[in-house]
Amino acid sequence: MISEINEQEYEALDEKEAKMIEFYSKTCGPCKMLSFVLKDIARQKPEFPIYIVDFDENRELKERLGVKGFPTMLFYKEGREVSRLEGLKQKPAIISAIEALA
Amino acid sequence: MSNKIRYISEDHLITRQNRAETEFLAAFAAEKPTFAQPQVVLNPYLINPLCALVMFTTSEALAPTLTVHGRRYERENLSHTFKAATEHFLPVLGLYEDFANTVSIALPDGRTTTLTIRTGKLPAEVCRCLNVQASLDYLGDAIMFLSPAGKNLPTAYDYKGDIRWLLTENTMFDIKRMKNGNIVTGSSRFCHMPYNCTGLIEINLLGKIYKEYRMPGNYHHDHFEMDNGDLLALTQDFSRDTVEDMCVLLDRNTGAIKKTWDYRRVLPMDVGGSGSQDAHDWFHNNAVWYDKGSNSLTLSGRHQDAIINIDYESGALNWIIGDPEGWPQEMVDKYFFTPVGDVANFDWQYEQHACVVCPDGDVMCFDNGQYRAKVKDKYIANRDNFSRGVRYRIDTAKMEIEQVWQYGKERGAEFFSPYICNVEYYGEGHYMIHSGGIGREHGYASPSLGAFLDMKDPKAELRSITVEEKDGIVLYQLETEGNFYRAEKLPLYHGGDNLLLGEGRLLGSLEVTEEFDTVPEAEEVFELPPSFHNLLIEEDEDRFVFHGKFEKGTLAMLCLESGDERHHYFLNTSASWHLAMCSGAFLEKDERDIKIHISKLGLHGMFTVKLIINDRKYQTGVSICCP
Repeated sequence: MISEINEQEYEALDEKEAKMIEFYSKTCGPCKMLSFVLKDIARQKPEFPIYIVDFDENRELKERLGVKGFPTMLFYKEGREVSRLEGLKQKPAIISAIEALA
Repeated sequence: MSNKIRYISEDHLITRQNRAETEFLAAFAAEKPTFAQPQVVLNPYLINPLCALVMFTTSEALAPTLTVHGRRYERENLSHTFKAATEHFLPVLGLYEDFANTVSIALPDGRTTTLTIRTGKLPAEVCRCLNVQASLDYLGDAIMFLSPAGKNLPTAYDYKGDIRWLLTENTMFDIKRMKNGNIVTGSSRFCHMPYNCTGLIEINLLGKIYKEYRMPGNYHHDHFEMDNGDLLALTQDFSRDTVEDMCVLLDRNTGAIKKTWDYRRVLPMDVGGSGSQDAHDWFHNNAVWYDKGSNSLTLSGRHQDAIINIDYESGALNWIIGDPEGWPQEMVDKYFFTPVGDVANFDWQYEQHACVVCPDGDVMCFDNGQYRAKVKDKYIANRDNFSRGVRYRIDTAKMEIEQVWQYGKERGAEFFSPYICNVEYYGEGHYMIHSGGIGREHGYASPSLGAFLDMKDPKAELRSITVEEKDGIVLYQLETEGNFYRAEKLPLYHGGDNLLLGEGRLLGSLEVTEEFDTVPEAEEVFELPPSFHNLLIEEDEDRFVFHGKFEKGTLAMLCLESGDERHHYFLNTSASWHLAMCSGAFLEKDERDIKIHISKLGLHGMFTVKLIINDRKYQTGVSICCP
């Protein structure tokens, strides 16, 4: 399941939920490619929540989370960032990070 | 403007040279040229316009002496006596450009032949000597070879600053003469940005490639010949998220990788960072030296301002030369040195290059000095900085270090090179200091690396200054246009085989290029991509390189299709900024111009090339043949 969220919606997320937050930019080719990768993953793991955040429109949030560039994927478990992946990654690396949250 | 895709298919240079050699040997066999009327082939191996090959036969085995006459006086003549033979293939090296060169050959029986070999003008972009301070008494028959740091060419200058050797191939990085007299340097074939080439080439000074040693992780910066001829070469593993942090030992005969050293095993990646460090290029290994006495490797890591020493067998860390600020205390206590002696004049090295271990165990390097501090608020601006050659004496029992020599600090920013460069040890008190990365804007040391300077700006200039000092006296100084990665002083002829006939060989292997396992949704259209993309596909025997122009943010993927078989390669159209650009050979002026190399390893058959651009999949009309 992929949902686009903004800063306010980020604040309202269930803290305990294991999830991935991806920061992307509309001006970034690797981000566009990653959107197809994430769609594949969402099909493979429909129950896992993937949230996408526009890097350029949510600057305060990305500063607060220490996100320096795009795409960046943050993996959360019980309200804590467990790992992050920077740059375009292929499915196995992302699935491995998701499965590490279990 | 019509949509058009350019396609170039060219045999590997080794194949073209093999063909050229076969042709001139066939002509030789057919005509059996005499000593009185020898055959002359200018630039026989296609990439050195300042050389020729003279071929003739003699009825009995004789040892000819060939002389390339100096342009000014007899004292400038270059002579070499070759082995006795009845069929003679004599390399003529060191011809002057755009000149009717006089070349004479003398036989022991007293016969002589004199030839005139006319050379043409060199390419306009050749870097010229601006100043030279040298003498024949000092240089003898040696000339100064400079290896390029950009799109300039490998070039060698004589004592007058005349160019006497040049390759028209943009070979890269270190250039060293091996024990057999051949030269080993980086290949000119692009693989990965910013400057990774397919591997090393072993050549003679005619430009003939005997071997190309390909490596899956490519070659960058430096190599070193072991006693048995095997080669240490700097490389990396592109399947990891870090680069320039591995060394391999290559079998000189087969090109096979016999041993690998991975510095991630012994160093933390997130400490002691220099001003140019990032997580990807955390160490930036730019030099390797094997020391037989201690059976260890000494390695320069620009992005940790560190020269490290590891055990050859185990790879275990022995010591680190560098400013300890920012390193964990337990590592400082165990591996770092304490300055002793004239500590008031002691300086650590920063962002250094080209570590050298002297016969007595002292360690030299070119201390570029970029930033010259470990923390940002102490960084020194380039225009206030200095570069130098430095020699440290280390006591590994007491973990003490003493600076016993330096050259360059006194010259200040005028001699400052923020990147590249090397030093050479010739003997006690006799050194070369090559500051080949000087970049100036408005007369001041530029804040940018030379590779990034806009050379259309008349206020920008690139310079390379090579100095040799003996007992504190400067005996040689060469200043040229352009930036040059390293300098190496060599005679043109050597005592071994200056030319071996026979086919050159392509050894080792490239990587299997990483494919992308997700394919974006795109509508296939039966048309070529818009002309804006200015596409070019260059096919070689073992790989192809795809070039195109893409606006930032474009989704682009290269597709190879053959029946039901599909291979997909993602094209990164994001602008990327490289903090290190030790060779700008592959750098494009327009950051929208990108290129990707695809190795043919693992691909078999004829593949149609298609290109996804955003939501459309275009035809290219090009097919790639993978044996």
